[in-house]
Amino acid sequence: MMEYAWLIPVMPAIAFFFLATAGRRLPNWSAIAATGTMAAGFIIFWFVLADWLSMESLPEIKAFGFSIDWMKAGGSTFTWGMVIDPISLVMLGLITAAALGIQVYTWSYMAHEPRFTWFFAVHSLFAAAMLTLVMADNLLLLYIAWELVGICSYLLIGFFYERRSAAEAAKKAFITTRIGDVGLLIGILLLFAKTGTFELSAIFALVENGGLSDTVITAAAVLFFLGAIGKSAQFPLHVWLPDAMEGPTPVSALVHSATMVVAGVYLVARMFPFYEHSETAALMVTLIGAFTAIGAAAIALVVTDIKRILAYSTLTDLGFMMFALGAGSVTAGMFHLLVHGFSKAILFLGAGSISHGSGQTDIRQMGGLYRKMPITAVIFGIGAFSLGGIPPFGGFFSKDEVITAVFDGRGLFFMSIALLIGFMKALYMGRVFFAVFLGKLKPENEHAHESPVVMLAPMLVFAFLALTIGFMALNYTDAYQGFGYFVFAGEHQEAFHLNKGIAIGSIALAVSGFILTWLAYVQGSLKTEPIIRRFSGVHRVLINKYYVDEVYQWVIDKVVLVLGRFIAFFDRVFINDIGVNGTGAIATTTGRIMRYVQSGKLYTYAMGMVVGFLGLALAWWVS
Amino acid sequence: MVGVVNGIDSVLLFTLVVTPFFGAAALAFFPADSHKLIHWYSRLIAASGLAIAAYLFITFDTGGDLSKYTVDFDWLPSLGIRFTLGLSGITVPLVLLNAIIFFGGVLISWNVDHRPKDFFIWLMLLVAGVYGVFASRDLFFLFFFYELAVVPMYLLVGVWGSSTDFGTFLRTKEYGAMKVMLVLVAGSVLVWIAILAMWMEAREITGIADFSIAGLSQVEFSDGFQKLYYPFLMVGFGILAGLWPFHTWSPDGHVAAPTAVSMLHAGVLMKLGAFGILAVGMVILPVGSRFWAPTLIGLGTVNVLYGAISAMGQKDLKYVIGYSSVSHMGYVLMGLGTLDILAVDGAVLQMFSHGIMTALFFAMVGVIYQRTHSRDITILEGLGKRMGITGVFLAVAGLTSLGLPGFSSFVAELLIFIGTYRTYPILGVLAVIGAAITAVYILRMLGKVFFGPIDEERWKDLTDANRMETGVAVLLTGFLLLWGLYPFRIVEIIDSGVVPIMERFGS
Repeated sequence: MMEYAWLIPVMPAIAFFFLATAGRRLPNWSAIAATGTMAAGFIIFWFVLADWLSMESLPEIKAFGFSIDWMKAGGSTFTWGMVIDPISLVMLGLITAAALGIQVYTWSYMAHEPRFTWFFAVHSLFAAAMLTLVMADNLLLLYIAWELVGICSYLLIGFFYERRSAAEAAKKAFITTRIGDVGLLIGILLLFAKTGTFELSAIFALVENGGLSDTVITAAAVLFFLGAIGKSAQFPLHVWLPDAMEGPTPVSALVHSATMVVAGVYLVARMFPFYEHSETAALMVTLIGAFTAIGAAAIALVVTDIKRILAYSTLTDLGFMMFALGAGSVTAGMFHLLVHGFSKAILFLGAGSISHGSGQTDIRQMGGLYRKMPITAVIFGIGAFSLGGIPPFGGFFSKDEVITAVFDGRGLFFMSIALLIGFMKALYMGRVFFAVFLGKLKPENEHAHESPVVMLAPMLVFAFLALTIGFMALNYTDAYQGFGYFVFAGEHQEAFHLNKGIAIGSIALAVSGFILTWLAYVQGSLKTEPIIRRFSGVHRVLINKYYVDEVYQWVIDKVVLVLGRFIAFFDRVFINDIGVNGTGAIATTTGRIMRYVQSGKLYTYAMGMVVGFLGLALAWWVS
Repeated sequence: MVGVVNGIDSVLLFTLVVTPFFGAAALAFFPADSHKLIHWYSRLIAASGLAIAAYLFITFDTGGDLSKYTVDFDWLPSLGIRFTLGLSGITVPLVLLNAIIFFGGVLISWNVDHRPKDFFIWLMLLVAGVYGVFASRDLFFLFFFYELAVVPMYLLVGVWGSSTDFGTFLRTKEYGAMKVMLVLVAGSVLVWIAILAMWMEAREITGIADFSIAGLSQVEFSDGFQKLYYPFLMVGFGILAGLWPFHTWSPDGHVAAPTAVSMLHAGVLMKLGAFGILAVGMVILPVGSRFWAPTLIGLGTVNVLYGAISAMGQKDLKYVIGYSSVSHMGYVLMGLGTLDILAVDGAVLQMFSHGIMTALFFAMVGVIYQRTHSRDITILEGLGKRMGITGVFLAVAGLTSLGLPGFSSFVAELLIFIGTYRTYPILGVLAVIGAAITAVYILRMLGKVFFGPIDEERWKDLTDANRMETGVAVLLTGFLLLWGLYPFRIVEIIDSGVVPIMERFGS
């Protein structure tokens, strides 16, 4: 089946073209076409995976690829090719599963939406682009898919385009990520200029055998990371992600779990040989990842909109993944990506279910909702406990592996930062879960009700995965000796190895985080108001997201747009009115003056002749 | 030998060039008030051109003998003037571009009811001139057709155009028409000086009077001569391509022109300039073009950034697109200036792609203007709810403009970026940044005009694009997608035309 793997991204792409052109006339087909192709892709994925695992010659890095000529110019051939290797397999599984589940959820969630068909069309393209991105065997196709992911997120975040805020959020997402893409594209151009190829395998070979200078490797790695910063919403290009809430909830679920934001993490993992060979770039990834994680986790502790809490928690987890990659562990980064994908999907779908059932989005208006929505509560709880890092949920395993990797790669100081991040994760996850579901039910939420089965079923599946996926880390058979044995880069890693000291420490922190929030939001013996009052300055800064948006807005209004208006004015007044019209005016004025020379009056002409004659005579006499 | 016609392909090429010319002559005898007949007749002429151009494009053999397209007649032997037509890998896509936009322009002009006969006569003459420039292999006739393409603009803009009045900012259509005419004639004077100089210098060196491009490209012009006269071609043709700082005619002209003329103007006419630099300047004066290449690429970079930043500061939809054309033509000039084969390939593809894209832009802005009588970005808001189809196609043009993969501009710009980056890395970086700025002004425009809440009261009778307009948009979008998704064929053709030119530069 492996040779049919290209069908996985191609089928949803065809579904997009079909729905975008004919969908209007066949509205009943939209959900079937989109979900059908995604389901087919999901099935093919399992066959591909089975093929993969049955292949001989483990543990060599295997890759299976195929390509077509896309364009020939100037003696260079540009190909579109796909490759299957462990990293792309992990991503394929995550994307097909998440997209499929979210589409099923959407059947009911968006049922009354007039642009139902358009939603499924773009959703399909979004998945197709992301699947292409993770299978691309060359930088050209990777960039193409990368940009398509960006535009799909623009279209989906701006789905409710009649709302000004949605239109603005969509624009912000696209332009912010586009700034990072400038870096990515320049990095690609740099590598093409130095190597003459876009092929990843050829480029990696050059990196490994010293065919590229250290400067080029570092420059490329930093430029690629710029792209990753944009897509994966790392500081300072993180501002678009919280605003992306303006899209419909299924979009948020997809953007935050399996597509879009993980693209940057995937890029760094894919380009890992560069970071292995450039300590500068790897350190940059570590620092920015850690910085983003802590900064965002602090905001997640104070905001009160449920989707915003989840958005900032995504920033934290993305930073956490970057942290692991920068510390040198693709395994840990990819594992956390996978676990986070399913866990975050249920949290967002759960949040959608909550607002669907109760109409509330602010956690201060909620509480005790488990009485009305018990299934949602359990599912949401699994997601929260998973990302909070409580064993045996998936998030515990991946978090622990990240912390261990950071300790191995970066030492004690960075490990303590990772532990701190883990503690903050437990705090905000505990906060959101307890504040929403436990405690007293507010009278205005008496009408709240459980969501329909179509919405709950995919959530249950994801919840099952979030619950069990952590055990993928463990060693079972010779063919599958744990996640670390499956996904690795460079040095082959052993199956999940447990550092008992770290594990105990991180469990203790996670549990105490949940206990603290339970005391604060359920039991009530810990009051949050005095803390807020005591640190009101800090609280204000956090609530305002460190004023980063305000600074950016100021730069746009006072620098960028002013520059645009100035150049436009300069063009009108100097180039056009003075330069072009001025030339015209000189010509007309000269003509008006010269007009007097040809007056038609004989005596003027006679005068001219006399003057001329005298002048010539004088000249002759002088010489 | 008096004349050569080499079989069916050359007859078709000849037919393609003269059809709009004689078509215009025949149209002069039509009754002026039978509007329907005039429209259908014009559509027929345009469609026949599209059919021939498509045939030539599809059957073009990249490795084959190009002499089968040659039409060659003596015209004034004592001066070496011949009427010679031919095709190359560079001209085939451009001829097709002209045919597509002419067809689209005629269809989109269904609502022209003010003197349609005269309108279409001038439009056909303009198109005949453009075909002639692309197909001519003789500088005398190339210049003749060049002027033929420029002159009708004056009447088309001056009579059928529209004025812009923002209170503080007034541009009448007469101003636009006059400006386009004068600036372009100034450019063609420079071109003509260079042509005559080359002709005389060649006669000095070889003793043969010859206006043919092939003949002149064999002449060993001295380095000093080449360095002196190449700038005349570069600036003269460059003016038509919107070369900074001689670009202001272009936004003003676009804005004042009626929709079909804006489409042809930005879509094809500006390409004549870039085509002239490549097919005349670089072919005949390689030393001069190498000497001046850094200047060209430098000015091209200014075009890209300056045009993009100016577009951010505009309020009129057509001015946004006008400045965006200045910016995008900058990529073409940059590509030509690198003398890198990939970038020159990209520049030719960008000519094609920008032509289609900007035609789509103007077609859709025309639809909006016709229904709302406004192009003011500060007034229009939320139109997407009523004009969904228009919005989708304007978005297609916009996304093409910002270099979204899947549309042909991405391929063109990618090639230009690669070529520029590996010859002038800093300028390559600036070019990529220019594409990012494009995203800002395009999304700002789309977001303002089509997204957001709609004024239900004011726009309650607003209608969407009709079937004819949608058809035009679908046609243009089809070409953008076709070569955006699978550019193999068109790049193969362009490459076959660019390689012989690049061989003269030793690359």
